[in-house]
Amino acid sequence: MATTAFVLERDGEIGELPRLARLREGLLDASYGLCTQKAELLTEAMRELAPPSPTTRRLAPIHFGMLERSLARNLASGEPVNHWALLGNRELQRMWLALEDHQHAEPAVLLFARGVAHVLEHMHLHVYDHELLMGNPTRHRIGAALHPDYGGMLMLPELDALRSRPVNPLAITDEQIATLRERVFPYWFTRSIMSRTSLLSDDVELQNQLTAGKRFVLTQFAGISHVTPDFPRVLERGFLGVLDDVRLARRQASTPEQTAFLQAAEISARAVLRLAERMSQRCRDQAEHALDPARAAELRELAAILEHVPAHPARTLHEALQALLVTWVAIQQESFQHGVSLGRVDQYLWPYYQRDLAEGRLGPNPRGRAVELLGCLLGKAAEQLPLFNSMATDFFSGLSSASGLTIGGVDEQGRDASNELTELVLHAYSRMRLRQPNLHLRLHGASPAWLRELAGEVIVEGGGMPALFNDATVIPALVEFGVPESIARDYAIVGCVEWGVPYRSFPAAGAGFVSLAALLDEVIHAPELLAADVDMDMDTIWQRFRAGLAERINEAVRGNEAIEQAHARWRPTPLLSLCVRGCIEAARDVTAGGAEYDSTGLQGVGLADVADSLTAIEQLVFEDRRVTLAQLVSACDDDFAGLAGEALHRRLLDKLPKYGQDRGRPEWWAARVVQAFCELVAGHSNSRGGRYAPGLWSMTTHVGFGARLGALPSGRKAKRPLANGASPSNGSDARGPTASLLAASRVANKRIANGLALNETLDREFLRQAGPGLIDGLTRGYFDAGGMQVQYNVFDVEELMDAKRHPDRHRGLVVRISGYSAYFNDLTEAMKDELIARSLHGRPACQVVEAVDRDAGHLHAVEPEAKAQ
Amino acid sequence: MSPSEHAIVFDIQRACIHDGPGLRTVVFFKGCALDCQWCQNPEGRRSTPELAYYEERCLPGCTACLSSCPHDALRDRIAGRVDWAACVHCGQCVEACPTTALVQVGRAWTADQLLAEVLADRSFFAATGGGLTLSGGEPALHSEFLRRFLPAAKQAGIDVAIETAGNLPWSQLAAILPWIDRVLYDVKVGGNARHLALVGHDNLRILANLRQLVELREAGASFTVEVRMPVVPGLNTEAAALVELAASLRELGISTLTLLPYNHLWEAKLPRLAGDRPALGIRPHDREYYDQVIARLASEGITARMA
Repeated sequence: MATTAFVLERDGEIGELPRLARLREGLLDASYGLCTQKAELLTEAMRELAPPSPTTRRLAPIHFGMLERSLARNLASGEPVNHWALLGNRELQRMWLALEDHQHAEPAVLLFARGVAHVLEHMHLHVYDHELLMGNPTRHRIGAALHPDYGGMLMLPELDALRSRPVNPLAITDEQIATLRERVFPYWFTRSIMSRTSLLSDDVELQNQLTAGKRFVLTQFAGISHVTPDFPRVLERGFLGVLDDVRLARRQASTPEQTAFLQAAEISARAVLRLAERMSQRCRDQAEHALDPARAAELRELAAILEHVPAHPARTLHEALQALLVTWVAIQQESFQHGVSLGRVDQYLWPYYQRDLAEGRLGPNPRGRAVELLGCLLGKAAEQLPLFNSMATDFFSGLSSASGLTIGGVDEQGRDASNELTELVLHAYSRMRLRQPNLHLRLHGASPAWLRELAGEVIVEGGGMPALFNDATVIPALVEFGVPESIARDYAIVGCVEWGVPYRSFPAAGAGFVSLAALLDEVIHAPELLAADVDMDMDTIWQRFRAGLAERINEAVRGNEAIEQAHARWRPTPLLSLCVRGCIEAARDVTAGGAEYDSTGLQGVGLADVADSLTAIEQLVFEDRRVTLAQLVSACDDDFAGLAGEALHRRLLDKLPKYGQDRGRPEWWAARVVQAFCELVAGHSNSRGGRYAPGLWSMTTHVGFGARLGALPSGRKAKRPLANGASPSNGSDARGPTASLLAASRVANKRIANGLALNETLDREFLRQAGPGLIDGLTRGYFDAGGMQVQYNVFDVEELMDAKRHPDRHRGLVVRISGYSAYFNDLTEAMKDELIARSLHGRPACQVVEAVDRDAGHLHAVEPEAKAQ
Repeated sequence: MSPSEHAIVFDIQRACIHDGPGLRTVVFFKGCALDCQWCQNPEGRRSTPELAYYEERCLPGCTACLSSCPHDALRDRIAGRVDWAACVHCGQCVEACPTTALVQVGRAWTADQLLAEVLADRSFFAATGGGLTLSGGEPALHSEFLRRFLPAAKQAGIDVAIETAGNLPWSQLAAILPWIDRVLYDVKVGGNARHLALVGHDNLRILANLRQLVELREAGASFTVEVRMPVVPGLNTEAAALVELAASLRELGISTLTLLPYNHLWEAKLPRLAGDRPALGIRPHDREYYDQVIARLASEGITARMA
């Protein structure tokens, strides 16, 4: 990919950096493995710390066998688990709990602090070739960790197939499978969050609801994560300083719970210090065996760094990055590695870089050295995968561990905060170009031209990063949510697109996804509306949709509350709590509300499908009276079969306006849906004392929900994906990028507290013809119109089609999925097809009523191949 | 309806990048003052709305349109469904058609409606230095409407470009110039006789109007003038044509020319429309061909560049 003058000029200063190229190659070459290290070590520890009672030991295996069979059946057939079986299971779980609880001398927070300390004490450590930073999220170069204490049990029926499953196969040995079956799961199946949540839910069918994946999905039985830990505090004070804070708090603790939490926090802090000691030792060991003296010196330097950090305050950029990485890796051992984000690295690393520059510490090419160090950090984020079973893979395709990294934006006073590190992070990303981390750039009215220009160039190279966020609309949304302005100005992205307060909040941003489209489908299937002589108007449908939405959100919130309470009660995370501001001071775990700011994110999915469907119903049923609602619904039920069905289908697709064309009505409906969704979600509080935060992004839940839903009045056929995030339906953005950007700006709303994702697909040829600056122009126009977020997916459709046919030729092809990027090769076939459809031109729904001939263009217009975005 | 209140527009394209600087919204006005053999937008020639039929979009087995036609101009077959001799372009079949096989090309827009449509992208105009481009057809034929519409657009700070071929009374062009920032002025072919043969009109008025524009510009008018020529290989590129064109331009004191590359996609439109214009069968030419045209013009003192 050719780069333009600016990057070349700056690159000239930075130089070749073969180290990063080799690191990248190594990561692209690495196969994926299932990591059972945490599962085995934690089980080993917990079997000692909290042994099963004699009765449990005798009887539980029978229950385990039943459960294993029922999980396998449920997964194979997709049928719901029998109500009585669920009730029986819950009663048995209740019994196991009663048998176990009194056994344990210590509260859960202490047990798990000790258990995780055991993991950190024994986990595998290694520095790979060329690395300047050390940290091993799993025992594989690239691995997915299994967390039996959360939702790992779901993998049980799929373990044997894991090696050979068509999408995202993972290496696993027979010994690993045997250990999981015989030692790990039999211990956890009565103790995991997944099994205990049912004890707190009044809806025994919750499990069925979740595995059905039709109306909503809740994710946190797999772990909460989704947080930006307080790296600045670790860098500034070191874990020894943090330990001082814990001790100080302990003197003031007034309840046994507080004392237990602080004791647990202390154990966790010591475990991190011990981990760093072991890492340092490992570096020395490897240095001794290194054949290349230069490499040995590098490893010895790293060993010395690890002797100092994260115990003590960091003094250099290298130390700061290493301290950050130790903390990040340790946190990944405690809970599910999803959305553990890095915050505003260009801000909190800036003092260290400046000091290094002043002291000449970065050698003859300081910018190049900094890019190298940053590149090593980026590579680390790409080493971990989330573990999903086959159903979850539908909903969360692309293996995003959603580690967000934010740069740019304003400072606390609202002045531009970008600096040289902002630039160097972009260069480091451009060199590494891996699927992770998610790179996020904050822009505002006074963002410097060089930054906008450089970002545009990095985006044009493809890969969908950085994603762009508009300070002018995001900050007010956080203020509206109750965050003081100076703190809101410091926002960072958690995971994919979730804007929130870094370092001092527990945003639980990925908690749940509600299918708005499935709800509309239910509403229009109400028998009262389908009767022949029903007296209704469009408002009847809207009111029912709104009422249904309130109910659906209640239902999702209730289910999620059961999960979150289970976390607080049975699976606190003292190590993470140590790293979220507020917890030590309040002497309370994050899962129990210890963070300074707290919230839970709930997303609406299928916005464009609902807006397009409401528009179609309004126009065809109530304005034109061309069909009755019953006829329309019946055509949907038949998936538009037959000549009449097909004629109706074509009318829906070709002749009705669609969200993303900026023709007014669909955008009006979309804005109305967003407003209702936001109001209803934000009206709920979570059990930690925070509020629910509405979001409009979908990961790939739009594919999962879509696969489980019949045809819609929008013209979307049965089982097809829904629209992603706040983007138009595939093929509906036929009026060019400005129209789809404006559509998204019209649904922007200061109540959207948990992020919004707009995927804007741009053809590389169009960008080439338009010249540099187009991306920036589009972004500025969109942001000036009130837009909140956008990510540009730049590619050629031929490239994607070739990648689908010949995966091995396109190993490093990174594409934007929803709020995150992924290797094209890691996607499900359905997602690959969706991306190709997104980028195909001359799409079925391109034609609109008064427009004539978008295929032919005219002499002076750009050729349609380049135009029809 | 009076012509000042409405204009027939047959397409509005947003985010265009080849019709002036930045991102632009291009409004295609219906009706033309020339009759070019290679007309790129044949659906823009007729001044009134007209029916177009896209055979490939017609749904097999569907006969929804047949009974809607009061003039019996529709046949029960996909190929050649419209009997163009009988069709009066009333558009009554368009609603009945469930697809966009039958479409009415062009509809009346009021100034307010058009303004709203154009203003939609104003934030992108501001961000990219773009704006509105009036195209067609011949947009200047709508000068009465434009005199009503353009002041509002200018008031909103919109940069306005016009793509005109200039074959109309100077007064009509002059009437809208106060609101125009850029004139993209098309010359079709050098030599009056050749012009008459290929375009159906002589070029006297076109060159006279261009002279007026150049003079106004020299007198300090605020608009810019860019002269452009669509390259139609084999038709307007023979040496004599280029020599004569260069002479006309030099005589006006014009030394630069923008060449628009030939695009054959217009031929796909012919079977969709009434009338029996022949296709030309000219295929796209490579860069080398255009370089020859540029070299030829250079030897005649005109600096040409590709758009």
